[in-house]
Amino acid sequence: MKNKLIMAIALVMALVAGWAATTTTAQAATDNSLAKVQKKGTLIMGTSPDYPPYEFQATVHGKSQVVGMDVAVGKKIAKDLGVKLVVKSMSFDSLLVALQTGKVDMVISGMNPTPARRKNVDFTHTYYQGGYSIVINKNDKGIYKDKDSFVGKTIGAQTGSTMYNESKKQTSGTTVKGMTSVSDLILGLQSHKLQGVAMEKPSAQAYVSNNKELAMIPSHFDLSASDTSASVAFAKGSTSLVAAANKSVDQIRKQDLVNKDYLPAAGKYLKTNTVNTSMLHYWKAFLKGIEYTLIITVCSVFFGFILGVLLSLARMAQGGVFATALRWLATAYVEFIRGTPMMVQVMFVYFGLGLIVNLPALMSGIIAISLNSGAYIAEYIRGGINSVDKGQTEAARSLGMTSGYTMRYVVLPQALKNIWPSLGNEFITLIKDSSIVSIIGVSELIFQSNIVRSDTYRGVAPIAVIMVLYFIMTFTASRILNHFERKMQHD
Amino acid sequence: MTKPIIEVKNLAKNFGDNQVLKDISEQVDTGQVIVVIGPSGSGKSTFLRCLNLLETPTSGEVDFDGQDLTTLDTKKVNTLREQMGMVFQNFNLFPNMTVLENIKLAPMKVKGISDTDATKRAHELLKQVNLDDHADAFPTSLSGGQAQRVAIARALAMDPKVMLFDEPTSALDPEMVGEVLNVMQDLAQQGMTMVVVTHEMGFAKSVADRVWFMADGYIQENNTPEAFFSNPQTERAQDFLSKILM
Ligand SMILES: Nc1ncnc2c1ncn2[C@@H]1O[C@H](COP(=O)(O)OP(=O)(O)O)[C@@H](O)[C@H]1O
Ligand SMILES: [Mg+2]
Repeated sequence: MKNKLIMAIALVMALVAGWAATTTTAQAATDNSLAKVQKKGTLIMGTSPDYPPYEFQATVHGKSQVVGMDVAVGKKIAKDLGVKLVVKSMSFDSLLVALQTGKVDMVISGMNPTPARRKNVDFTHTYYQGGYSIVINKNDKGIYKDKDSFVGKTIGAQTGSTMYNESKKQTSGTTVKGMTSVSDLILGLQSHKLQGVAMEKPSAQAYVSNNKELAMIPSHFDLSASDTSASVAFAKGSTSLVAAANKSVDQIRKQDLVNKDYLPAAGKYLKTNTVNTSMLHYWKAFLKGIEYTLIITVCSVFFGFILGVLLSLARMAQGGVFATALRWLATAYVEFIRGTPMMVQVMFVYFGLGLIVNLPALMSGIIAISLNSGAYIAEYIRGGINSVDKGQTEAARSLGMTSGYTMRYVVLPQALKNIWPSLGNEFITLIKDSSIVSIIGVSELIFQSNIVRSDTYRGVAPIAVIMVLYFIMTFTASRILNHFERKMQHD
Repeated sequence: MTKPIIEVKNLAKNFGDNQVLKDISEQVDTGQVIVVIGPSGSGKSTFLRCLNLLETPTSGEVDFDGQDLTTLDTKKVNTLREQMGMVFQNFNLFPNMTVLENIKLAPMKVKGISDTDATKRAHELLKQVNLDDHADAFPTSLSGGQAQRVAIARALAMDPKVMLFDEPTSALDPEMVGEVLNVMQDLAQQGMTMVVVTHEMGFAKSVADRVWFMADGYIQENNTPEAFFSNPQTERAQDFLSKILM
């Protein structure tokens, strides 16, 4: 999962690099970033909400929303600019890509302004100076003292984070395992896959105070200030916006707002959060997940099917240079889509196409999965068409029917009947594979379960719930499809 | 009156290196029934399929109603095909449609005839082939003889000027051959121009105006049935008949 994701990001980054470069240089030449934000009246903040107390999901007035000290920082900046703050959730790895491709205006996610990151984005002054701790199982207290106690053991850290890199650098004989979400890391700790999890001190405190099985120890990492400080990231070259945000950030530092206001407020959410952690309490979140999963699946199969028909016809086009070109294009498309991971395609549509048109995550997800599914369905349809007896075409043509009518009224209906089971399989596969769009923040079932996990600090229960839910969906779908298959056989 | 409806001039057809039809020049007059016979693999089906351009001739002309089909564009070929009904050895009924729908499809989609009119005509044709009680059946529930009669009705629904038959009874159980041949004989009596590839020598003798004997890529003989069967001219034909008639 981790490697796939990193590969996917690398690929998408490489692919959009050209565009990104041109947009950023254009921005540098005439920096209208501040004016642009003020004109649209909203400031979009990207964050990865599984890092309490920086940012996390909490149920406020019955509704799940992102809260935490970073959100408070974001709100302050937006307020000082006179615009509205909009919070957009996504995985930590995706944040900087989202910033570079204009999906978000700024990133506040407990992010350290490391030199490597500075190459790609601009940072404000530091709004919070933290430090690192290591969370361990309470039973192990006394065995582990700091980062050097884990020789021959495994510690975990969030992939792409500073802790991850420093843990690798500053330990020897210790395996460092990266995972995308902190909830997963804590789960790994509790299931003894990991012996410790490195994270920022406030986060560690939040987890320990919410889970009696956990304890924290100092990390004793040797760190420069930039490695422990948190800053707000903006797109490269947005000087005016950074300058404006710096005014807010300086106020936050001067008045010590983080320690005085933001952290205590976040702590309150953390307490209310853990009152009711039963899965039933979260039925609304799961229902929303099911709804989105089904929307994505049904739309993708529908559009994928149309695309599949067109592609399969294009692949069988006969006669003329145009037909040859069409055939070649369709073949190349099918091969390319089948030869690249769906995850990369999803990210490419969301981030890559996002440079040209700003598509919402849900629509990007549906487009990417339809494009993907179309390539597979095209192959099923082509097989189905080839399986129809040639005599059928000859009979239709001998009656004076055009090749188009022959295809539409005689061959395709029979081909579809033949491939109905394969199409059904594709539908069921998509119910499961649509979960990939969770990486771009679409609230389908996996994404929702991650919210519930970080909301309740319960690692396994939400996974078990969605497993059952997925099974119910696929099982029901396959019953329904079988029913239609039997009905079609009667003809 | 004497103007032929189909005139084939120096027709040749190759499949790669395989010269199936070498040089064929014949004509069919309106109202004539031609029976084409010849050994298996001699190119009878290929010849028939060249007449309605299901196969594209390698060289030569196929004139239909005074027009050379080989020079027409796809659109015109489609409209000319309407006028040449074809019946296949394996019926090729559309299995996803009822008998009635099989017959109505082309008139409605190609000629734009209304559903009511197409249905009315389909029932007439089904009566003509004695199958009106099977209008709503699906092809899989029909016997071979019934299926072939539906296929004939389907071709007739386009009101063709010529009917092409490619071994219409070869795939049938013997007891069903008669019912199909009877329908074809009725059709001939009504004056339909027909080109029939068949091994039914009885049908050739009683219904055909001319018999064409095909072998080695040529029409070796073109004669009346009486003359052909009683006195075949070529050794090829004598040989063929002696094998068939024993
Ligand atoms: N589509 C085709 N491609 C290649 N060869 C073919 C094709 N159709 C027919 N042939 C060849 O042409 C020859 C004549 O076939 P056909 O016309 O079916 O003969 P007949 O109907 O007299 O038995 C055979 O050798 C056959 O293999
Ligand atoms: Mg044949």
